[in-house]
Amino acid sequence: MGMEKLSYDLKSEEALSVLTDVFSQAITGELIGMSNFASMAGAIDDPHEKMEAVEHADSERQHAEGFMAHAEKLGLKVKVNLEGEYWGRVRNIFLSYAAKKDFIACLAIQEVMLEAFAVSMYTDVGKALDNEAGKMFLSIAEEEKEHMEHSTEFLRDELHKDKDKFLKKFEQLHNDCMTILAEFSLTSDCTDSCGVCHGNCMKSSLPIVGLDVGSMRGNALSLYARALDHIGIPGEQSIKWIANLPV
Amino acid sequence: MENEAHIDFAVIGHQDNWPSVQSIINGMRSGENEPLTVAQIKGTFSYIPPRSIFKMTAKSKTGKTVNGVYIETFIDPDELTPHFLRKNINKVNEAISVALKHKSKIIALGGFTSIVLEGNLSQFDTSSSKITTGNTLTSAYILKGVTDAILKLNKRLQDCNVLIIGATGDIGSACTHYLSSKVKGLLLNARNGRKLEAFAQQFTDTSAEIKWNTRLEELIPMADIIICVASSASIEIKDYKKQVVICDAGYPKNLDTKIEEGNGTFVFHGGMGTVNYGYDFKPDYREHFYNYPRPHIAHGCILEAVVLAFEGKYENFSSGKGNIKTESIDKIHELSVKHGVELAPFYNSKGLCEISLPKSSKG
Ligand SMILES: NC(=O)C1=CN([C@@H]2O[C@H](COP(=O)(O)OP(=O)(O)OC[C@H]3O[C@@H](n4cnc5c(N)ncnc54)[C@H](OP(=O)(O)O)[C@@H]3O)[C@@H](O)[C@H]2O)C=CC1
Ligand SMILES: [Fe+2]
Ligand SMILES: [Fe+2]
Repeated sequence: MGMEKLSYDLKSEEALSVLTDVFSQAITGELIGMSNFASMAGAIDDPHEKMEAVEHADSERQHAEGFMAHAEKLGLKVKVNLEGEYWGRVRNIFLSYAAKKDFIACLAIQEVMLEAFAVSMYTDVGKALDNEAGKMFLSIAEEEKEHMEHSTEFLRDELHKDKDKFLKKFEQLHNDCMTILAEFSLTSDCTDSCGVCHGNCMKSSLPIVGLDVGSMRGNALSLYARALDHIGIPGEQSIKWIANLPV
Repeated sequence: MENEAHIDFAVIGHQDNWPSVQSIINGMRSGENEPLTVAQIKGTFSYIPPRSIFKMTAKSKTGKTVNGVYIETFIDPDELTPHFLRKNINKVNEAISVALKHKSKIIALGGFTSIVLEGNLSQFDTSSSKITTGNTLTSAYILKGVTDAILKLNKRLQDCNVLIIGATGDIGSACTHYLSSKVKGLLLNARNGRKLEAFAQQFTDTSAEIKWNTRLEELIPMADIIICVASSASIEIKDYKKQVVICDAGYPKNLDTKIEEGNGTFVFHGGMGTVNYGYDFKPDYREHFYNYPRPHIAHGCILEAVVLAFEGKYENFSSGKGNIKTESIDKIHELSVKHGVELAPFYNSKGLCEISLPKSSKG
């Protein structure tokens, strides 16, 4: 392992360029999460849930700040754009459910779907970067995992209340949100700019820092599938949903 | 809300080629989504954690119904080699946990999944859920198949030389033991010569004349029956007797594509059974991946779990390597027939096949 990592010069100009985009995506994602929880806080009536949403928003804010500070230390000029092609669509879907005060939908989108991608991709980045930045990605991934686990219990209870209704609803959310994330993580370079990367699409340049988009996408879908298993969604359902995602 | 049926048995399996993976995945895609190419599927398939992909219901002749679940391991068909053993064992282990979550009382390890485990169950807790390789009923169907074929040819087993390719394996050794008192000669083949010789030495006192050789071409010309239970795509059958009966039971089943038929040579896919009183899947993807010429056909290894579930006989029926006893083969076959689970009709990759008497011996 160590041998392999030595072959990446993380301080080269190309590597720093890829890292800039990696940080930009992570920061944008955290700010999307922060905004989503903030919107949820506004939408929810239950005072305890309201307070919890604010607390969550704050934790995502801290993640964003952590990434920002680290990027600055490395001299990376990150770009934040909550309205880019993919992040903007995800945000709009989320807002449409928040407007309906649909707490379950908000949790499923933010803490299962977005968080599965965040945990998986942060873990991959963290393992690839054998440095302080890598450690930071890994420790934030750990915290995001807790967010996922917290929502799992809640969603499991919901499923037990009325399984058919829950599955129907989750399928709709999956179609709404995972379709976007699956497009976002397609292995081909984005044809239109995602609005976050600073130059051309970074996907094909990921190998410069020891990453590759194919395994990152695979790992993210794997973690998503496991998250659905933990909620108690039957395998024959989840495999059908995943098999229908854009490739 | 739909009432969830309890699960009696679980089948753990894998696909051994990309076209069948492709048919299954495309079978799951809804009409408005384009079918995917193999290249598109390859990128993600093996990342998916093992999961239940459909449920099954089997009906016994006795009227009893049992419910099962098929758990796909999502092992990459290109990675079915020793090099990926660790990774594959992890997948099988995960699949077993899925089966345990379903509270299935018996688990069949289909195809290569039993091979990756070498039948070693010690690492699993089998107190609530039993595990079987299913190799005993597979052996029974192989043996029943060749016996039936020989009878139809008006020949007697005791006049035949039987070649077993993969003789030192679990199924191969079961067949060797079984036939050792019933045939004229046994011709044993495997690649590892030392193991083969040590194995063959056990049979020097039996009534059958015994020969062994790692060189398959030395044995083929003498064989009246060939049972192939090796996992290899590259087995070559040349210089065979004109009226040889070939039971292709290993993976991949490709011998019939390499042999000229029609000169009295008979090749069928062995180790297969059929559930005569009904075997249904939900969701039913069979139109996308079911490659058998009749409904309700399945591998003997899967049907062993079905039969044990019908019987309520929850035990690690086939486990380890080289432990299959002749009595167990007869026992499981008897139970199988009792429940209307029987040898599949003869077929090969071209479809159902009839065994016909050579012209000279007719009338
Ligand atoms: N109903 C069915 O159709 C079923 C079929 N099977 C299949 O049956 C086959 C045997 O299973 P099992 O007995 O458990 O496997 P094992 O691994 O126990 O045995 C395999 C045997 O084949 C030999 N072998 C492997 N490659 C070759 C080769 N190229 N030429 C000659 N011999 C070879 C091995 O010995 P060596 O390494 O020394 O060559 C060994 O004797 C497998 O392909 C399995 O998938 C299993 C269950 C059900
Ligand atoms: Fe976060
Ligand atoms: Fe989070």
